[in-house]
Amino acid sequence: MAEFLMYLTNGLVMGVINAISAIGVSLVVGIMRVINFAHGELYIFAGYFSYHLSLTFGLSPILAMPLSVIFVFLMGILMERFLIRPTYGDEMYSLIITFVLSIILQNIALLIFGPYPNKPPTLISGATSLFGLFHYGNQRLLSFIISIAILLSVFYLIKRTWFGKSVRAISQDREMASLMGIDHLKINMLSFGLGAALAGAAGVIIAPIFPVTPTGSSAISLTAFVVVVLGGMGSLKGCVVGGLILGILENLGAAYISTMYRHIFGFIILILVLVFRPWGLFGQRT
Amino acid sequence: MVFSSWRPIKQAMERAGFMKFWIFIPLIFLTLFFPFFLSQYWLHVMIISLFYVMMASSWNLIAGYTGQISFAHAAFAGVGAYVSGMLAVNMGIPAWLGILIGTSIAGLLGLGLGYLCIRMGGIYLSLTTLGFSEILRIIITNEDRWTRGTMGLQIPGFFIEYSKMSYYFLFLIVSVFFLWVIYRLIHSEMGLSFRAVLNDELAASSSGIDTIRVRILAFTISSAMAGMAGGLYGHYLMLITPDIPSLGQMFLVLAMAVIGGMGSFIGPILGAFILEILSEYIRIYGEYHVLLFGLVALGMARFAPEGIMGLLEKRWRLRKIS
Repeated sequence: MAEFLMYLTNGLVMGVINAISAIGVSLVVGIMRVINFAHGELYIFAGYFSYHLSLTFGLSPILAMPLSVIFVFLMGILMERFLIRPTYGDEMYSLIITFVLSIILQNIALLIFGPYPNKPPTLISGATSLFGLFHYGNQRLLSFIISIAILLSVFYLIKRTWFGKSVRAISQDREMASLMGIDHLKINMLSFGLGAALAGAAGVIIAPIFPVTPTGSSAISLTAFVVVVLGGMGSLKGCVVGGLILGILENLGAAYISTMYRHIFGFIILILVLVFRPWGLFGQRT
Repeated sequence: MVFSSWRPIKQAMERAGFMKFWIFIPLIFLTLFFPFFLSQYWLHVMIISLFYVMMASSWNLIAGYTGQISFAHAAFAGVGAYVSGMLAVNMGIPAWLGILIGTSIAGLLGLGLGYLCIRMGGIYLSLTTLGFSEILRIIITNEDRWTRGTMGLQIPGFFIEYSKMSYYFLFLIVSVFFLWVIYRLIHSEMGLSFRAVLNDELAASSSGIDTIRVRILAFTISSAMAGMAGGLYGHYLMLITPDIPSLGQMFLVLAMAVIGGMGSFIGPILGAFILEILSEYIRIYGEYHVLLFGLVALGMARFAPEGIMGLLEKRWRLRKIS
């Protein structure tokens, strides 16, 4: 029982991190109808940035983590401005460009950071006894709390602020939103940046627990995509529920069925969703 | 003045498809006799180029002509290679039969994925094919009892007696067959509906074209072609590894089509030869050549989305006007 609860807790921790990463994808799909295939690479870059900022440049991890997210945010802004914006209205070219970009970034990461996994320093050490049943690493507990905080701020941003209102307006009706005086180019750029930043946030949170490698990026993108389809394209609530479901299933599956096939559970879920409920759990049926 | 009197005749010939035919005659001579003057090494390069011609052209059928981006083309080649290879190793099934079985399985998988995703729109196909590609790589790498994982599986060749010249002609015949099928498809009524779907989906569907069915059909044919190309490739190399169905390989095929010119018949053929021959020259720089091709493909997709063929056509049209 203790064992099962531990895997479940692992699943919850992975689940909220999945949710952060998936919201980054979902936001961009909702607004721009663009899937960013370089999502996983941005996640990896953030992990490496935080490693090098704290170990090579000697910054405190508390500073290195937000700084890495800001770097990735800027990468996202540049990508949108110079590569994605010219493809508006041409879904096919945005897919090709982000896929090619993912290959380029993967190779750059191999070149700069090398093929070896690098683990940034943890924020805290030690473990806490949970429910008196098992000891659980403090770093993981802290990651869980940070992730929840990030999720809450994103929801606040989208539901309560002017930026969020514009975002929702554009995803419902782009033309109408422009007529109402919303600068959709600016909003697009900011949301693409925010999508990248969320990939980055997930990356810096996961890196001290599971070190990142350049070759792991396509699996990361894929997890985010499965969560988005499962939750329903463009639904933020769906990302949280989908992220938790996938996180728990993957961890229980890896523990009780097979570790090697961790990513296969995601693909099976994807196929099942496409067969039985292609619009996802919270998506709109069209 | 003298040349202007030629114009009506030339136009009439072009309309009848003669010009293209005449261009093909020296090409036929070149492809038939040229290999006899090549070293074994360059013959190998030509065979690999022909494999990429098959891959890039069949990928172009779905991406360039119906606007659906599949990331599983290399994976389907892997299906063809591994199905045929494992059948040959474990059951002694002859290569030609194995390749046909592999082709059918790739086609069926394409049909299934296409049926599930295409009705939901292009983004879903891209996501799911990417997933399929990753999963296949994981399965092949982990089931090493059957596939020998990253060590690679040794399989028998297509011919009993190994000769690069026979492989060259085998690959040439299959490539020409593929190109003929693709050419006929895009110039048939179905090709018309392909392009109608690409140009304006709403208009096409309201004028009675079943857009989803057309796309699923194109995807199935294109996937089956990848399966056959992969099967042949495997039996030529006689060692199949998870590199065949990798995303790196997928990227190469995509880059060939994009750089050569998507949505053009000649573009992917041109792209395949250029990139394969080029990669032989820059192989000494190791993995940098992927980065280089990536940057070129990105630049092309951004600034010249119709590739080399698009650039050539633009120049040709300008000259005609001036």
